[in-house]
Amino acid sequence: MAILASLWTSKQYGLEIIRTLDGKSSLALAEGTLYLILGRLKNDGLVESEWVDAGTGHPRKYYWLTESGKKRLRAMVRFWREFSADLGAVLDPVTGREEKLNAQS
Amino acid sequence: MPNLDVIESIDEYCERLWKELHKVPAPEKDELVREMRAHILERVGAEPQVTPEIMAKILRAVGDPKELAEEYRTQAMLREATSDKASWVFRPWVLLRATLRWGLNSIAGLVAFLFTVAGYGCAVVFLSCALLKPVFPARIGLWAAPQHTLSLGYWNGRLVGTEIYGISVRPPNSFVVLGTLGATDGPVRELLGNWLIPVSVLCGALCFFATSILARWLIGRFTRKKKWNVSLPYPTPMTQNGPG
Repeated sequence: MAILASLWTSKQYGLEIIRTLDGKSSLALAEGTLYLILGRLKNDGLVESEWVDAGTGHPRKYYWLTESGKKRLRAMVRFWREFSADLGAVLDPVTGREEKLNAQS
Repeated sequence: MPNLDVIESIDEYCERLWKELHKVPAPEKDELVREMRAHILERVGAEPQVTPEIMAKILRAVGDPKELAEEYRTQAMLREATSDKASWVFRPWVLLRATLRWGLNSIAGLVAFLFTVAGYGCAVVFLSCALLKPVFPARIGLWAAPQHTLSLGYWNGRLVGTEIYGISVRPPNSFVVLGTLGATDGPVRELLGNWLIPVSVLCGALCFFATSILARWLIGRFTRKKKWNVSLPYPTPMTQNGPG
């Protein structure tokens, strides 16, 4: 989901995706594994890719979301939001108790 | 521009990855290795100076070629197993290989593999019985054996030390495919006679197709296509704010 989300606003190449994930979240991903995941997403029709000569001496492979990928990502995000809200409701008393203890000390 | 040592390290890494990706179709292999090379070059280009230590760190971050290739082969096999390219003749082999590889990585995969082996095993026993019944009419059959055992397969012809090789069920909880439940003493009775042939052909074909369909479904359901069946509050397809 995070990989798909990193492609939401623009086309990106592998290292850019890693930097986005690294910069905006604490998600650490084995770099080589990223390409296996991207390959699977491509086979499932969620992303498309293209080699582009970026003028850096070597080409870059850019990935972007397909319509089906956008649709799937929206569904995943909604699922995640619902799931984390439900879990949050379960966890709230725990953090509430910790905050109370911190306030007392 | 990376220096010669760096290029040599990258070439060596890509060559190892290429070798480890054996059995993967050449175009896929080319694409993955090309992508990894581009990624490493990108990482190298981002460094002000590339010492051997930094190069080793970059390659470590990319991942061990053997592990990457292993993961890729698993992915490729599972993809092949769920595609329509494999013919019905080769499908058992493709599915068994794919579920075995999946089974090495997860409990769900192991269950799928055992199910696939049992399903195809039953198909083999049924079809073998249909083929061998005319050759060994007195030894091949569906047998009611001692201890309420129901067996399909080859009877060793003894009343003491009776063993039947094939599929056997013994209440309450003994079951074997492609084997025997062990020797028992007592009479055995054949239940189907020559009807065994059409019944076995039918059951064998059913086992074969049902196993193929269910194994493919299991792979597709648990390894590739996670369902996200939630109602979408957004209009689709999206026309604003998205990429491209």
